[in-house]
Formats: sequence, structure tokens, C-alpha cells
Amino acid sequence: MKISKIIEIDSIIKTYKNEGLETNVLKGVSISVDEGDYVSIVGPSGSGKSTLMTILGCLNQATGGTYLLDGEEVGKLRDSELSRIRNEKIGFVFQAFHLLPGVSAFDNVMMPLIYCDKTPADAKERVKQVLIRVGLEHRMSHTPGQLSGGEQQRVTIARSLINDPKIILADEPTGNLDSKNGAEIMSVFDHLNAEGRTIIIITHDPIISEHARRILTLRDGQIVSDEINENFKKSRAGIARVAVK
Amino acid sequence: MRILKNLGQALRGLQLNKANTFLMTLGIMIGIASLTVIVAIGEGTKSKVLNRIANMGFGPESFSVYSGAGRLFFGRNRNITSMTLQDVDDIRAMPGVAIVVPRQRKRMRIINKKEFTTTRVYGVSPEWQPARQWRVVDGEFFNDMDMDRKRKVIVLGNTPAQKIFGEMDPLGKKIRVGQVFFEVIGLLETKGLTESGYDPDDRALIPLTTAMSRLFRQTHLHSIKVVSTNSEAVRETMEGVTQVLRRNHGLSPLADDDFRFVTPEGIMQWVTESEQALNRMLLLISTVSLLVGGVVIMNILLVSIRERIREIGVRRCFGARRADITQQFLFESVLVSLLGGVMGSSLGWILSSSLNHFNLLPAKITWDPFVLAFGFSMIVGLVFGIHPARKAASLSPDETIR
Ligand SMILES: Nc1ncnc2c1ncn2[C@@H]1O[C@H](COP(=O)(O)OP(=O)(O)OP(=O)(O)O)[C@@H](O)[C@H]1O
Ligand SMILES: [Mg+2]
Repeated sequence: MKISKIIEIDSIIKTYKNEGLETNVLKGVSISVDEGDYVSIVGPSGSGKSTLMTILGCLNQATGGTYLLDGEEVGKLRDSELSRIRNEKIGFVFQAFHLLPGVSAFDNVMMPLIYCDKTPADAKERVKQVLIRVGLEHRMSHTPGQLSGGEQQRVTIARSLINDPKIILADEPTGNLDSKNGAEIMSVFDHLNAEGRTIIIITHDPIISEHARRILTLRDGQIVSDEINENFKKSRAGIARVAVK
Repeated sequence: MRILKNLGQALRGLQLNKANTFLMTLGIMIGIASLTVIVAIGEGTKSKVLNRIANMGFGPESFSVYSGAGRLFFGRNRNITSMTLQDVDDIRAMPGVAIVVPRQRKRMRIINKKEFTTTRVYGVSPEWQPARQWRVVDGEFFNDMDMDRKRKVIVLGNTPAQKIFGEMDPLGKKIRVGQVFFEVIGLLETKGLTESGYDPDDRALIPLTTAMSRLFRQTHLHSIKVVSTNSEAVRETMEGVTQVLRRNHGLSPLADDDFRFVTPEGIMQWVTESEQALNRMLLLISTVSLLVGGVVIMNILLVSIRERIREIGVRRCFGARRADITQQFLFESVLVSLLGGVMGSSLGWILSSSLNHFNLLPAKITWDPFVLAFGFSMIVGLVFGIHPARKAASLSPDETIR
């Protein structure tokens, strides 16, 4: 099977300009990610991890450099086209969940389908399926306020999956969770990756980055190391066992 | 359809932010309610006046001249005593004049044993009946003989008759008007309440001579009704009457008239004028209140956008385009404004109905204010929603989810 590149960024620069004050956050970042890979990006606070994620997620345009997402040059796209790409190709998971308050888990997961050009006929069934997938079939009509942190994060994962995106981008997905809930969430990601979905997780927690196959370290806006995680195979074997059991 | 889905999201948004939604509807509601009430009162007043005209027995060939300067029913000076029987004789002598009816008028208490009521008592000449063409259904109207002999006879309208006699037959009975006893000799045909609540049957008629010397004890007249031989001559006759009255009252060429004409045309004109004035006021009031309502909506929306910045960011992350966000918030403001319009119309309708029901003001409910309410609230929603909506859409997604 030929492995294709899902993400290729080259010499990405990001500079914020605020009232004449320039902040160089990303200073030439080049990464390429294979389809189906499991990548974590680590680094100290302020190193530019979240900024990199907004660029990878097409939430923001880079100041310089090029970005090919699934073979498409993203840097020159109009806002509405970026919206379409986000809708079709990327699923976001945030540290602070960012669920719509007062809206049921079901409708929160349904939300991205509103912005599809064509809402699939089986939308409701799909929502149900992804909620079952994250183990929340018994919480579909609960609002975020009625769910625990771990449950909320599982809703956001279901939401990120609803459009069957190629990439899941997660920024500190376990940052607001205790270690037990964090581990459960990570096992959901592990399974998603085992099914072949590309996952990029931003974290500063070594326990979390250990789940990835590849670990990138960002420091002061530059990639300072790019390593293959030796323990990945071992944890994968664990998943296989769980899956069998 | 994407736009319908955005409409759905707007509905959800309003549902979830009930307090804001309620506050936003208030301004529009008040504006539309006042608009509805004012239109209803305007229409009510108009129809009341029109009914009044219809019930005054005015044909195109007749007019009245009232004592005292002023306009129509609104005399400026009630103490003018210049109009007399001399004027009546002189007008009667003019060419083109068919009937002249002198009138005196006073509200008085009329009493039958223990029952009493207050009604408008008119002292008139017997020509009143042919001039007014109002049938006597029981008994008869007083005649020239009654006039000459200053007889104490009275013809009752249905309202006072009912009030003091009930089921009894009033004919031949003696009733007291003030301190004077009268014999009831006739009953007027019942006209019934007009739509606007004016009661033409609330009256009693006595010979003018009796009124002058025995009841009101005054010689000056309240008004004179003139019927011309044909409707084309009316204008000319009015000019003639003006000359006669000015001469008789000794008015210098520079002095204002001390009398005023009441004609169906004049009333119509007055109705139109006051309607226009009312419409202008209405436009001002409703514009101001709707503008205020609009500004309120805009500000609350701006605040609410700040509160909902996460929501906007998340929607953008999952594929909402700027246009989707604009549409959603514009729909919210239009919906909220329409909701305010509906609530305001209902409130206005309730207020107008109760004004009418409790006889506080004449109000007539028509369709126009509801159509206006719909149009206005839609426009207000669009105009004042566009700025917050675009502001919401212009937020960059990465900054809204930080
Ligand atoms: N809009 C902005 N304008 C100016 N500077 C910004 C802006 N956004 C981020 N920065 C700066 O860019 C730098 C990197 O921010 P970023 O959020 O990417 O860090 P991070 O690696 O995610 O850190 P953390 O681990 O604390 O989340 C910070 O110094 C921050 O102050
Ligand atoms: Mg961060």
C-alpha cells in the first residue's frame, strides 16, 4: 500500500502583529505527516504548539511558507473554502471541550453537519453511531452541563468524527481531565488511529505523547526533534488485545 | 437548504438565551403596541365622527350655524348671547332658504316620580321634525299652537323614556324637567347606539318658546339649522347668513365672526385634517420607539456575541462560513424583532379593545397596524441586526476558541 502524505508544511512562519508589536511565533516549521500516522507535538508553554495547530487546522493563515493539505494548497484559499476544508477534512478536539452550552450531546455532534453542502440523509443514524462509538449511547439527550468532563470530551470526539474527517487535531485533549478519564480518552484516540485515521495530538504531558508513533518537539517556534516512539508497538499490541477481548 | 439550517440555529439561539431574547423584544413590543393603539384610536375617532355626521340628519343641502366663534363643535366662548330670533327671522326671509330651525340646548335632569336621568333638552321650533326627518312613533310632535301658547309639552327620545318609564307608556304622563312639569306628548323613533357608542336617542325636545320663557329663561339661541332649497345654493346661503349675522350682531368689519358653521363638508375636512395630524404624530412616536427598540436589540446582540464568542468560534472550526454566522445572527435579530412585533400587536390589540370596552376612548381595530407592525419590525430587525451579525462573522476562528 502506498503511503501518501496528508500534511506537508514547509518553512511555515507565523508572525502576529498587534499595534506595531510583532511576535514571531513560528520561525520556519516544516513537517510532513503520512496518512494514518499518530503524531504528538510537545514543547514548553509558549513554544507555538497551539499556533501551529490553528495553522494545520486551517483556522489561520501562515505568514509565510507553504501548506499542502491532502494535496491541496491551502495558503491561497478564500475564507469560505477554508471553512469547507475544515468541515470535510478536519475534526477538532479542544482542551476546553467547546461544546455548545444548553444543547444536547446529540445536537452538539450533529452541529458540523449543518455546514455541509449536502446534509447526509442518514444524519441522525450517523450521530447515533459515533455516540455509540465513544460509549455515550445512554447520554445522547444530556446537555454539556449534565455530563462529566470525560463524557464531555467524548462528545467532542464524536463531534470531530461526524464528518468522517481524514485528520483529527487535538490540542491538550486531556488537559482538563483527571488521569483516569485522560487515559480513557487516549484509548479512544488509539482505537481511531488503529482504524487508520490520522491523529495529531498537542500536549506537554509525556504520558500522553507516549501514545503516538511519532513525537515532534517544538521549542521557541522551531522543531527541535522528530522521533519515532519506541514504545508505540508495545501499546499497539495492547490495543489489539483489547480489541480481541 | 443551508439558509434554513441557519434559521434553525437562530431559533435555537433565541431559545437558549431567553433572558436576552425577552429584553430584545421589549423595545419593539412597546413600539408596535403604541403604534397599534394609536392607529386604533385614530380609526375609532374617525368612525365616531363619521357616525355623528350620519346621525345629525345632515343632507347636502343643510347646515347649522352655532353661536360663538370656534370650529365645528368646539366653541371658543360659551358666554356669547348674540344669536337671537331676529337672526332666525332675517335668515328665513333670505331667498333660497327652505327651513330654519332655531335651537336652544341644555343638559338637564328629568324626573318621573322617583325615576330620573339627565339628558340633552332642546328647545326647538316645530320645523325641527321636517328638517331633521325624524319620525315620531307614538303620540305626535308639538305644533305651532303649542309654540304660540308656550305649552309645557315634551317629546322624548327612547333613552330617557326607557330610563324613567321602563315598560310603562309615557304618553300623557307628567314629568318634571328641572323645576317645571311637562306633559309627554310624543316619542321619537329609536335610532340606536352608533358603532362608536354615541347615543342619538339621548334627548328630549320642547317648544322653543316654552324653553325661552319657562325653562331656560334666556332669549339667545344655541344654534340655528338652515335647510336650503337646493344643495347648489348652500354656499351662497352661508354667505348670506354670515352677512345677516354680522350686521345683526353689530360686528365691525375687522371683528371676527361670533358664530361658526357646522356643515357635513366641514366635519369631513376636520376629520381628514386631524387624521393627518394624528398620522404624523403616530409616525413620529412609532419611529422613535422602534428606533429605540432597534438600538436595544443591536446592543444586546453585541453583548450576546461577546458572551457567545466560543459558540461562534466552534461553529467556524467545524465549517461555518462567515455568511453562515452573519445569517444566523441576522435571523436572530429579525426573529426577535418579529416576535416583538407579534407581542406588541397582541398587546396593542388588547389595549385597544379594553379602551373601547370600558368606553375610555373610541378605538377601532383594523388590519393596517398589523401589516405595519410586520413590515416595521422586519426592517428594524434587519437594519439593527446587520452590524452585530457582521461583527460576529468577522471574528477570526482561532482567536474565538482560545
Ligand atoms: N494573537 C496573538 N497575538 C500575539 N501573540 C500571540 C497571539 N497568539 C499567540 N501569541 C503568542 O504566541 C506564542 C505561542 O503561543 P501558543 O498558544 O501557540 O503556545 P503554546 O505552545 O500552545 O503554549 P501552551 O502550552 O501554554 O498552550 C505565545 O508567546 C503567545 O503569547
Ligand atoms: Mg496551547
